[in-house]
Amino acid sequence: MLLEVKKLKVRGNGKEILKGINLQIRKGEVQVLLGPNGSGKSVFANTVLGNPKHKVTQGKIFFAGQEITKFPPEKRAKLGMALTWQSPPAIKGVKFSQLLAKISSFRDSTSKYYQFGEVESHLLEREVNVDFSGGEKKISELLQILALRPKLVIFDEIDSGLDLKRLEKVSKTIKKELIAKNVSVLLITHSGAILHFLKPKMTNVMVDGKIICKEKDYKKVLRVIRKYGYEKCKRCKLLAG
Amino acid sequence: MVMKNVKDVNYWQVDHKIKKIFEAKGVEILTSKSAWEKHNWVRKYFFKKPREGYFIWIKKQVDLPLFTCISIAAKNTEQELQNLLILEKNLNINLRGACNAQKRNLNCLHKAQGKIILKEGSILKYEHIHSWGNKDVVEPNYEFFLEKNSKLDYTFKTLFTPKKFKINTLVNLFEGASCNLKILANCIQTETEIKDTLRLIQKGAKGQIKLRLVGRKNSKITAHSQILAEAESKGHLDCRGLLIDKGSIISLDPKLVCKNKLAQLTHEASIGKISEEELNYLRMRGLTEKEATDLIITGFLMVEQAG
Repeated sequence: MLLEVKKLKVRGNGKEILKGINLQIRKGEVQVLLGPNGSGKSVFANTVLGNPKHKVTQGKIFFAGQEITKFPPEKRAKLGMALTWQSPPAIKGVKFSQLLAKISSFRDSTSKYYQFGEVESHLLEREVNVDFSGGEKKISELLQILALRPKLVIFDEIDSGLDLKRLEKVSKTIKKELIAKNVSVLLITHSGAILHFLKPKMTNVMVDGKIICKEKDYKKVLRVIRKYGYEKCKRCKLLAG
Repeated sequence: MVMKNVKDVNYWQVDHKIKKIFEAKGVEILTSKSAWEKHNWVRKYFFKKPREGYFIWIKKQVDLPLFTCISIAAKNTEQELQNLLILEKNLNINLRGACNAQKRNLNCLHKAQGKIILKEGSILKYEHIHSWGNKDVVEPNYEFFLEKNSKLDYTFKTLFTPKKFKINTLVNLFEGASCNLKILANCIQTETEIKDTLRLIQKGAKGQIKLRLVGRKNSKITAHSQILAEAESKGHLDCRGLLIDKGSIISLDPKLVCKNKLAQLTHEASIGKISEEELNYLRMRGLTEKEATDLIITGFLMVEQAG
């Protein structure tokens, strides 16, 4: 097992946000985490990656057999864990190429800066996320992740703000550069469009800080959610518990 | 910090000794003491007979950047420089100046009085880099004269601050002249006082001051920035501080003085801290807290160099 999250509870702003999450991802496996806005998906992703903003009150996180619950974020990144941010902050004055070089240096890797062609390579000379469009931010996040050479990537809403052409390009890159290389992937989304390209092996549904459904057939889950919303999931007999 | 590009340097002084003078074609370079002896007309620019410092008179276009370096290598050295740079009409020149201590513990004094004259229509891009030890006292005092339609792009950047730092910069702008003055300082364990003034003396002059100051490790920083409009002109003052730790103080004092009803002067000032979100973002990309902090500070100081 590459990632194992056991009974994870997280508090923030005086209330419990994650209420005992269990999740396991094997090496090379693609899973998806679906859920409505505010259900705790991004908090979960950030907690797994060690964002100091979120405090774990209970539970444990294991990565490649090692307990990492108290590891700082940089140590987790060095172990091979990566997260693309939904709304990454702007780092004024720092060129994107400068950041990529920093990220690559500790990994001793050559990243695929130019694989998005001329259309995206202009980002390299711009300041990180400063005046980036929604789509450019997603490309920037993906390029950084590739530079990290990770073993596990959590994509937080990588598909939002992308037009169909870019979505296809991003999906192809994830397939070719990550999934084909046995990198594990957890997709966080609430639209589901990217799932048709990446075909996850397991679909998890999170509502109110709990994973209430685990189902192998993502199409089935998407159909239910599209037709009845997440309320139906709450009442479903296949509750993960 | 040892002088690395010796072969490219035009004026190189270590302590009180001239190591090298290399005159490009159309450029006269002397010690200011020799210039005082040779050219009577330069005397008006010096407040007294100079003991040391450079005189650079650029008479013709030089396409490669000119480079000056004034270093201190011996302990307890006290430099008292008078520098004079004159740029003739319609020239477009790049100048790089480095002032530094070769070691961090020399306990030295570096005082510099500089006058820089830009004649009509000339353009000067001047990058002035300082780097000192933590026992040094440094007092650069520069005055610029920007004649009709001349342009100055001046960046004063400090890599390592001395124990005591007094930076005085005065820019006088005449008809149609323009100036972009940037003072960027990463202040660590220092008492730094900055006084920078733009005088918009004649019609059509325009200028801006950008100040970026980082306060770290018990630094006390005071900046008095002023734009004074005496004619129909435009000026903008932009002062920003970034406070890193508890023991440091940044005090910004932006001032606009307008003596002409057709002048337009504006200012903005802010002092902030490093954003937790940016820090966590970079840490999640594998940078340690220190590396992430340093990168954010580099960005804060770099951001305005381009603009």
